[in-house]
Amino acid sequence: MSTAARPYALLAEFDNPASVMHAAEKIRDAGYQRWDVHTPFPIHGLDGAMGLRNSKVGWFTFIGGTSGFTLGMLMIWWMGKVDYAIPVGGKPLFSPIFAVPVAYELTILLGAFGTLFGMFFLNRLPKHYHPVLKHPRFRNVTHDKIYVVIENADPKFSETETRRLLEHVGGQHIEVVED
Amino acid sequence: MASSAAVASAAHAPSAGASSGLARLPFLLAAIGGVGALIGMMVPGLQKQFAFSWLLGFMFYLSIMLGGLFLVILHHLFDAQWSVPIRRINEHLACSAPIMAVFFLPILLNALLAGPEKALFAWMHSDVSHDHALYAKKALFNKPTWVVVSLILFALWHWLTNAFRNASLEQDRTGSAACTHRMRFLAALGIFIFGFSLTLGAILWMKSLQWQWFSTMYGVYYFAGSVWLTVGTVYVITMHLAKNGPLTPVAQPVIFHDIGKLFFAFTVFYAYIAFSQYFLIWNANIPEETFWYILREKGSWWSIGMLMIFGHFFLPFLLLLRIDTKMSFTVMLPLAIWAWVMHFCDLSFNIMPVMHPNGFVLHWLDLACMAFMGGVLATWFIRNFNAHPPFPQKDPRMAECLGIHVPAGKSQGGVH
Repeated sequence: MSTAARPYALLAEFDNPASVMHAAEKIRDAGYQRWDVHTPFPIHGLDGAMGLRNSKVGWFTFIGGTSGFTLGMLMIWWMGKVDYAIPVGGKPLFSPIFAVPVAYELTILLGAFGTLFGMFFLNRLPKHYHPVLKHPRFRNVTHDKIYVVIENADPKFSETETRRLLEHVGGQHIEVVED
Repeated sequence: MASSAAVASAAHAPSAGASSGLARLPFLLAAIGGVGALIGMMVPGLQKQFAFSWLLGFMFYLSIMLGGLFLVILHHLFDAQWSVPIRRINEHLACSAPIMAVFFLPILLNALLAGPEKALFAWMHSDVSHDHALYAKKALFNKPTWVVVSLILFALWHWLTNAFRNASLEQDRTGSAACTHRMRFLAALGIFIFGFSLTLGAILWMKSLQWQWFSTMYGVYYFAGSVWLTVGTVYVITMHLAKNGPLTPVAQPVIFHDIGKLFFAFTVFYAYIAFSQYFLIWNANIPEETFWYILREKGSWWSIGMLMIFGHFFLPFLLLLRIDTKMSFTVMLPLAIWAWVMHFCDLSFNIMPVMHPNGFVLHWLDLACMAFMGGVLATWFIRNFNAHPPFPQKDPRMAECLGIHVPAGKSQGGVH
């Protein structure tokens, strides 16, 4: 990390969900890609206003779940039919019927793992440092303020134009966040 | 805001079912099916098949009535806001107890008059002193109890469903929060009445076809399939009414996501219950229980069993995993029709092997009874729906459901 502070992003403060919803729609329509909204509580419909697509976590869940189901079936088949065959009560050595409880539980377990670790992976967590966290105003995000952060790295970013846009959509205390 | 939109839409409410030739469909179905059913009732050689087909149709539409009642109870039990716009649909679906009671008459007459060769319920002709299974269950399985309990069930359903609808309609006029509180109380009481009455109905009219059998899960099995069917049906009704009907102002896209989620949940719940019933019996391997499933593995009943696994569960499960399919009418309309076919096959799997032990038979009388009852009930539903406002007019939760902010002290109509 260089000693001279480089600008990371522009940060703007909002007071209520309604104003940030309208702001998000305008920033989305202006074509920005690398930006985010930080809120103290969930705001329904904000992902639509930001133009975010449905999360990809579901695919991790699905793959985890199907792996769990397959593994559960294979495990019971291997243990009961191949590795340690004991006939019980005239039942077959393997049947998908009695393998279902195990396969079902593993579907849920690996599906949950897929969800959790997929979410970590897509969010690039754990992350020990983020530039906005050292900005003095940003601590209000856990209290009663909402922040829009547009990153320097966005192809459309320009210090003056972006600042003007944030002013236009009603942002207050527009400040530069340093890296 | 919500109520002014409601008044505007109530004006063109009569067009609800009257768009295009669709409006004449219920009448046509009832007429053609009615003629078919009448032939089945009259021709001696068809009478047994008629009795079984009629029972199948009866249990099918009872599913929708009880499913509607359950959705109403669920709404109030959880103090839900998402389902306010569709609550009137559910209330009308539930309010068909008088029609269902009339539809019960042929079954009652069969029980009272039919000889052993045409009887639906063979246990009524079995000698209790030589039939230990019947002897053990004689407290419930005797003719007087069967008749009296059946009639009590209809009385209970009629009272409960109308109590809900009356309170709901009263709130349309008064806007009083007291109506909501009354419905909430009814829901807490009603869920017990619902659970016991549905279980008794499933046991008395369907499970008792093979009275020797044991399954403590039979009531919840019928319940799971019934609510699944009903949620799919409600989706399509809402879709129709939202597209160009009176529900346009209140049915937002998110409500289809929500109904879709409930549909998905009951897809899984049905599979869970159906599998658990099979699994416990398969695992215990006791002849008194396994005979029921052994009968249903013979001939083409095996294929129907497989259809339940892959068609009743896997297909809708995989389709409904995604958000976009839950909200896509091009997926959901065929899927709801598919749900009707699947529930029909499911009930056939439960009822028909007693009469057709060698395999699945799709008799024309099955279709005639389904068409007749469906036509009559659809007419009844449309008449009821058009006679009242299409959705709760002054429900305190409506604004919240639509995402409208009502400042404190500015809400109208609250008297409580």
